[in-house]
Amino acid sequence: MSRYQTHITDVLVIGAGLAGERVAIEAATHGLDVTILSLVPPRRSHSTAAQGGMQASLGNCAMGEGDNPDIHFADTVKGSDWGCDQDVARLFVETAPIAVREMAVWGVPWSRVVAGKRTLPDGRVIEEKKEKEGLITARDFGGTAKWRTCYTADGTGHTLQYTMDSIVIKMGITVHDRTEAISLIHDGERCFGTVARCLRTGELRAYIAKSTVICTGGYGRLYSASTNAVINEGSGMFLALDTGVVPLGNMEAVQFHPTGMVPVWILITEGARGDGGYLLDKNLHRFMPDYEPKKKELASRDVVSRRMTEHIRKGYGVESPYGPHLWLDIRHLGAKHINTNLREIANICRNFAGIDPVKDLIPVRPTQHYSMGGVRTNIDGAAYGLKGLFAAGEAACWDLHGFNRLGGNSLAETVTAGRIIGKKVAEYTLGASLTFNPELVEDAVKKQENRIKGLINGWHGKENVYELRNLMQQNLMDYVGIFRNGKDLQKAVSNLQELYHRSHKIGLRSSGVGANPELAQALRLPGMIRLALCISYGALVRTESRGSHFREDYPKRDDVNWLKRTLAYWPEGADLPELKYEPVKITELPPGDRGYGESSAGSEGGKNG
Amino acid sequence: MLQKTLTKSNKTDLYLDLVELTSGLLLAGFLWTHMLFVATILISQETFNRLSEFLDTYYLSYIGIPFVLVIALFHFVIAGRRIPTRIQEQKIVWQHAKMLRHTDTWTWVFQAITGMAILVLASIHVWMVVTGWPIRAMNSAERMESFWWFYLILLIVGEYHAGFGVYRQFVKWGWFPRKPIGYVTKVITAIMLALGLAAMVVLVQIGGAI
Amino acid sequence: MADRELTFEIFRYNPQKPEIKPYMQTYKLKETPGMTIFVALNQIREEQDPSLMFDFVCRAAICGSCAMIINGRPKLACKTLTNTLPSKIKLFPLPVFKLIGDLSVDTGTWFRHLSLKTEAWVHTSKTFDPKAQEERMDNETALRIYEAERCIECGCCIAGCATANIRDEFLGAAGINRVARFMIDPRDERTPAEYFEVVGCEEGAFGCMGLMACDDNCPMELPLQMQLAYVRRKMAAYGLGYKATQGVKLA
Repeated sequence: MSRYQTHITDVLVIGAGLAGERVAIEAATHGLDVTILSLVPPRRSHSTAAQGGMQASLGNCAMGEGDNPDIHFADTVKGSDWGCDQDVARLFVETAPIAVREMAVWGVPWSRVVAGKRTLPDGRVIEEKKEKEGLITARDFGGTAKWRTCYTADGTGHTLQYTMDSIVIKMGITVHDRTEAISLIHDGERCFGTVARCLRTGELRAYIAKSTVICTGGYGRLYSASTNAVINEGSGMFLALDTGVVPLGNMEAVQFHPTGMVPVWILITEGARGDGGYLLDKNLHRFMPDYEPKKKELASRDVVSRRMTEHIRKGYGVESPYGPHLWLDIRHLGAKHINTNLREIANICRNFAGIDPVKDLIPVRPTQHYSMGGVRTNIDGAAYGLKGLFAAGEAACWDLHGFNRLGGNSLAETVTAGRIIGKKVAEYTLGASLTFNPELVEDAVKKQENRIKGLINGWHGKENVYELRNLMQQNLMDYVGIFRNGKDLQKAVSNLQELYHRSHKIGLRSSGVGANPELAQALRLPGMIRLALCISYGALVRTESRGSHFREDYPKRDDVNWLKRTLAYWPEGADLPELKYEPVKITELPPGDRGYGESSAGSEGGKNG
Repeated sequence: MLQKTLTKSNKTDLYLDLVELTSGLLLAGFLWTHMLFVATILISQETFNRLSEFLDTYYLSYIGIPFVLVIALFHFVIAGRRIPTRIQEQKIVWQHAKMLRHTDTWTWVFQAITGMAILVLASIHVWMVVTGWPIRAMNSAERMESFWWFYLILLIVGEYHAGFGVYRQFVKWGWFPRKPIGYVTKVITAIMLALGLAAMVVLVQIGGAI
Repeated sequence: MADRELTFEIFRYNPQKPEIKPYMQTYKLKETPGMTIFVALNQIREEQDPSLMFDFVCRAAICGSCAMIINGRPKLACKTLTNTLPSKIKLFPLPVFKLIGDLSVDTGTWFRHLSLKTEAWVHTSKTFDPKAQEERMDNETALRIYEAERCIECGCCIAGCATANIRDEFLGAAGINRVARFMIDPRDERTPAEYFEVVGCEEGAFGCMGLMACDDNCPMELPLQMQLAYVRRKMAAYGLGYKATQGVKLA
C-alpha cells in the first residue's frame, strides 16, 4: 500500500493564472466545491507579466470610436490566418466587453478616458470626448483596425491577476499552491482528477474530482530563448497528451517576438524600432534595408524576426556565451528621448543586462513568445476524448488564435474563456456524479511512485536531465524556429526522438528528497519532449505557410489542402505523435488576404500581451 | 475569537501612539529649550543667572521640572513598549541590524540604547541639580568641572535621541517627505550639540577659575 | 569586471532532512556579461548542484518570487546584476517567512493570510449587470489605486522590517499598503470604522516604528513611507472623531 493523501472535490482546476482562477470563480459561484492546484502562489502566475492589455470592443476612446464586436471578429480571424474556429471567435468577441466590465466591478483600476486634445507620437492630434470621460479607455496594438486594447497603466496583467485572486480569496476557494499535477487519473473515457506532487515536501497526493480543468498556460520554455516565465513548460498539455486519447491542436503554431534581450530574454517592445531604432550585425552593419528596402526595421513582426534569423544563419550574428545575437541600436535617438519616451526599455536594459542604451548596443534576437496550440477543446472548453476534462487559456486550443494570435487577445482570452468555460464546467459538474474506481487511483499513484523511485535510484540510466533539456531547447530553437524547412524539421524530429528515448534513462545526481528541483524537472522532461515532437512533426507535415508557421520550401498559404487543424495524439509506447486533421469552422468570413502586405503569410502578431 | 470580539473598537493602540508622539515632541522641545537656556552662559554669567532667577521667581522651575519628569516617565514606559523585552527578540533585532546595514535601522537601535542611557543619566543629573539647588552659574560650573565627562555623554546621548526621535515621528506621520526632514533635524541637532559643547567649555573654564 | 571569478556563499538547509544542520556552501562561477543572480543560480544548479532550491518565475521583476537576502539586503535576485556586487556574494533566504529549503521561502501562504486578515478585496453591495455600461471613474483615481496596487508581494519590505521580524502578527508595509489601496478606491464601501478594525492597532498602522527599511528596500520603489503615514493619519483622524471622507488624496 502506498501512503498518500487523497483530496476529493467537485471541480479541480490545474493552474491559478487568470484563466484558471476565472473558471474556479465561475464554478464556485454555482455552489460547487473547487480546488485549484498551482506550481506557484497564484499571484506569481505568468498572467501577471502581460503588461500590454486586453482586447474588448468598448469603443470609448477617440481612436476606438465606432468599434464593435464585428470589427474585433474580423481582426481576430484575419490575425489567425483563417485558422481559428469562427464560432468561438464570435462568442469571444461578444463576451470580451462584458468580461472587462466585470473585472472593473471586481476592482481592476482600468485606465480611463480623459477628455481633451492630445498629440500622438506620430504627430496626429486626437480629441477625447467629454461624454466618454471616466469610461474605460484603450490603446493601440498591432494588427487591429481600432484602438481596442484596455489596459491599466503598465501593469494590466498584474492588476487583473490581483483582482481575480482577491475574489478567489473572498470566496474562500481552496488553493493548493506549490503543487504540481504529474498525471491525469482516467480510464480512457472519463477523467477523475490527478496525481500531484507537493513542491514543499515532495510527497504525492491524489486529487479526485468530477471535472478537471487544465489552465497551465503555454510551453515557451521548450525553446531555449523565450519571453515566458520559467514555469511555462507546457505541463498541462503533456498531461492531456499522455492519456493517449486527448489530442493537442495546432502545436506547430508558435509565435515569436523579434527582440528578446540576451541573456534573459525579456521582451524589448516594438517601441524601440517604432521610434527609429536600427538592427545591426556583428560588423555593426545595418542589415534590414538590404532585405526590406522599403519598410526596413518597421516591417511586420514576423518579417523582421525572419530576416534577423536569416542574417544570423548567414554567420553575421554576434557570438556570445548565450548563443549568437544581433544588436538593437537606439543610441542615435539621444538620451532625452530614450529616458522619457522609451523609459520602460531603458529600465529593462539597465536592470536586467546592466547596459545603458544611451551609450551601449542592446543584444537581441528573435524569441519564442506565445503558443497558439494546446489541449484541443470544443466551444464549451471540453477536451476531445475524455469526459470531465476541460481546458482554458493558453493551455487550450479553443481555437481562437488559429495560426497567429492578435496582440491583446491572449489576456482577453483568459478572462473571457474562463467566464464562458467556467459556466460550462459548472453545468457539466452539477450533472455529474462522483464515481471512481479506487484501484484506478491506487494504480495511478503507484505508477508515479515507481517513476520517482526509478529516477532517484537511477534504475534506467544516468542521463543528465539538464543536458537533455538544453538539447531539446536547442533543437527547437535551431530547427523549429521562425524559418522552417523540410530538412531541418526532419533533423529536429530525429534528434528529438533520440532525446525522447534518452529521457527515459534519466538518473538524478541529487538525492531527490523533499522539494527537490532536479526531480521535478526529471518528471516533466519526457512530457516536454513529447510536446516538442508534436510541434516539430506537425510543422514538418504541414507543407504550407500560415500565420506564424513559415516554411521556406512552401512559402504560400494553401487553403485547398491545409485549411485544417492539426490534431496530435500520442499512442501508448509511441515515439512520434499520430497526426489527424479536422476542418476549421468558417461561419462568417471566408478565407482572404490578411492585408498585412509583405508576404501572403505575413502576419502581425501579438505585442507583449 | 471571543476575546477579540469583546474588546472591539479598542483605541488603546492609537492613544498609546499619540502619547508617544506628544510626550516625545514635548521632551524634545524641552531639551532644545533647555540647551538654549544653558547656552545663555555664552553671553554672560549674568544672563545665565538672571534667566534662572526669573524661572524661579515665577515658579516655572518648580512646575516645570516635575512636569518634565512625569512626561519623561510616560515617554519611557510607552515608547519603551517598542523595545523587545525577550532576549531572543533582542538577538533577532541585533542580528537583523547587522545583516541589513541600514542607516535608519541602526539609528533606531541606538535610539533604544540612548533612551535607556538617558533614563539613568538624566535621573542622576536631576538628582544632582535638585540637591545642589538653586541653579546658578557657579554651581553649574563646579558640577561641570568635576563631571564634564558625564555631561558630555548625556549631551550627546540626549541630543541624538531627541533629534532622531523627532525625525522618526515626522517620518511616521508623513507630514513632510523623509529626506528634507532628516536634513532639518540633523542641522538642529548639530546646532544644539555645538551650543551645548560651547556652554560646557565655558562652564568648565569658569569652574577651573574658581 | 573582466573575467572575474565569483564566489557564492549560499545558505543550505532542507527541512526534509533535519539531521543536516543549516550551513553555508561555497560555489565558484565565472562571471559572464549581463549576468544576474538568476542566471548565476541556474548555472550553479544545472552544472554544480542540482539539489539547490530557489524560486524564480518571471525573472523580470514582475512576479515577486525571487526575493532573497543578497549581501545583507533583501532584493529581487532576477533584478540584481552580479557586476554591481563584489566578487564574494552571500545569499540567504528571506527571514520572517517559512523556509521551504535553501533560498526558497513560502511567501505565498503568508500573503494569502494577509489578504484574508485585511479582507483585501473590494467590498461592494453592487451586483454586476452584464448589460450595463461600466461605472465611470476619474483616471487620476484609477492611477492612484494602481500606484498602491503595484506591490508584487515579494516580501522585501517584510524581511527588512525590524518589527515584522519580532512580531508575527504585524501586517508590515505590504499589508498596510494593501489596505491603503482599498481605502483610496471609491468602489470599496467599507467605512472608516471597518478599516480601523483592521489597521487601527499595533498589528497595523500603529505598529510601525518608522525605520523605513521597507521604503528603502522596495524593488518596485513604491512610496511606502507616504502610504504608511497616510493610513496612520486616516486612522488617527477617525479614532479622534474627525469626520473622515473616503478617497482622500495622498499627502
